[in-house]
Amino acid sequence: MAYPYVSDREVRVLSKYFGDPTQRRLDTYVERGGYQALKKAFEMGQDAVIDEVKTSGLRGRGGAGFPAGVKWSFMPKQPTKPHYLLCNADESEPGTFKDRELMRWDPHQLIEGILIASYAIRAKHAYIYCRGEFFEATQVLAKAVEDAYAKGYAGADIMGSGNDIDITVHVGAGAYICGEETGLMNSLEGRRGQPRVKPPFPAAVGAFGMPSTVNNVETLSAVPHIITHGGQWYRQWGTEKSPGTKLFCVSGHVNKPGNYELPLGFPLMELIDDVCGGMRGGKALKAVIPGGSSVPLLNAEECGRCSLDYEGVQAVGSMLGCASVIVMDEDTDIVKQVRRMVQFYAHESCGQCTPCREGTAWMTKVLLRIEEGRGTEDDLDTLLEMSRQMTGTTICVLSDSAAAPVVSSIQKFKDEYLALIRRGERVGVA
Amino acid sequence: MSEVPFKNPGWAGNTGEFDLDEDQVRGDDFVGTRPREGGHPSGAATYPYMLPEKHPDAPLFEGEHKERFEKILTRYPNKQAALLPTLGLAQEVRGHVSPETMDRVAELLELSPAYVRGVTTFYTMYNKRPVGRYLVQVCTNISCNLCGADDVMEAFLRYTDTEIGETSEDGEFTVVEAECLAACGFPTCVQINSRYYENVTPADVPKIIERLKAEGAGGD
Repeated sequence: MAYPYVSDREVRVLSKYFGDPTQRRLDTYVERGGYQALKKAFEMGQDAVIDEVKTSGLRGRGGAGFPAGVKWSFMPKQPTKPHYLLCNADESEPGTFKDRELMRWDPHQLIEGILIASYAIRAKHAYIYCRGEFFEATQVLAKAVEDAYAKGYAGADIMGSGNDIDITVHVGAGAYICGEETGLMNSLEGRRGQPRVKPPFPAAVGAFGMPSTVNNVETLSAVPHIITHGGQWYRQWGTEKSPGTKLFCVSGHVNKPGNYELPLGFPLMELIDDVCGGMRGGKALKAVIPGGSSVPLLNAEECGRCSLDYEGVQAVGSMLGCASVIVMDEDTDIVKQVRRMVQFYAHESCGQCTPCREGTAWMTKVLLRIEEGRGTEDDLDTLLEMSRQMTGTTICVLSDSAAAPVVSSIQKFKDEYLALIRRGERVGVA
Repeated sequence: MSEVPFKNPGWAGNTGEFDLDEDQVRGDDFVGTRPREGGHPSGAATYPYMLPEKHPDAPLFEGEHKERFEKILTRYPNKQAALLPTLGLAQEVRGHVSPETMDRVAELLELSPAYVRGVTTFYTMYNKRPVGRYLVQVCTNISCNLCGADDVMEAFLRYTDTEIGETSEDGEFTVVEAECLAACGFPTCVQINSRYYENVTPADVPKIIERLKAEGAGGD
């Protein structure tokens, strides 16, 4: 089956059936070995499931990279209240488009992962918080959940095991901040999606005040494979600290943009030149954002030294985030693109914390001024000072995320800012 | 491609050079659209985002919509949690969420009107005022922007003869700027009512608009 752009460098574990619409059907999924991992998990028992996931070293794929098994182990072992599993399918980080693909091509893989995770953390109800715009993906997912109920893979007494796990597909209503785990919980409860102060952490006080765990779609989709083949098997790919495979969402100025599943630790330049067929139009590389719009930009020289695992990207001064690689060629107007990103954060700021609410809007104005040739060199200092005050001063990291591209672009592409400022001064706009 | 170069009407994979057609992508008997009464309660909260037909004075709720509303309520530990899906359902019926609609939803869920107003205005997907038959949302965020989203936006405004956020005179189109729609590998992404149109170029815009006008497609 053809799926938009595949590469022979890929290791397709989660994305094996991308492009094959029959995979959405429950009978096909079961024929191909589906729901056997769930059966196995029930036989292993909760603690063994958590240990297996810990062994695999699977790290959260939503951006923070926290080990999934460890996160699960924070949940109380003897439930005195209802536990909830929340699947974060509110994918809205600019540059990221993997969860939508996982949901619409292989919904049962996700559902099986959700059931295993719910079992492990002793949750009787799992909510899939889908992004509201994902009309198609939620329809596919809702149909798949319905089928799973009909065949006894969800609901009461799953596969005769005596375990009850309900799944509900919930839809959001268009707010980036609901992808932040505590914002997601507030939104699920019917509130404004404003993040909560931590602690208390979700494992103690989460959705509806009950112990909860929030996992990303990709994290949960990997779980059935780990249970089937074992944690050690998963470690055959990737690095010691970042094991396994990861979906890389490549967008921007490459010949073949798309989702590629590769072992963690894959060299960034090989991803661009080899897997993605090189730069569009043979242009030179100017900058790459390796992990979605919230992380610092890399210049061409840093890209050459960057390997795509959590530590490798950190070593060159950025973050892997959700592995959304945005590639920019030599003709890119960096100032404009940074302004567009900051404008996004200004739009999506929930308004709770002053540094974020005021800072993102102010930054947008200053960047727009520079872009239009009305900036001064002092504006760059203002931007850096604002960034400093917006980092680490708020409840969630949205404002840090807005500051990251600003600071890194001023550090690495100051000439572009200065050229715009000088040009403006010359023609007398300022 | 067929004679109508109508790219990817909201279903993955049949974009441009990718060789899947809509049937293949959706699967033969795979139901793409959920039943109006909601099907199994687990999926009752999933709804079509926007429909072309809007009935601003329709009752909240009656018939199949009432059935769906009641199914939604069964999935949450309290009524408040059903607020987002209920507002979505109200918008599906009425086309936008007016202050009167908010009050009615507050009444249904035993919440205060002010609280519901606070929540509704937090989220971008609730239209606070009426929109055209087709709500056109053009992503202009970074990945699409790098590949020319501004030109696509301009083309939509030109061919619908309207301005950002305004509805065209014939009541057909409202064009707005959207934040990242999570289809960054297929730029430019445009969401029209519920559906995604991927790899849209300015040249595709007149064809998309013509087809929407002619067929009234894109609602489910």
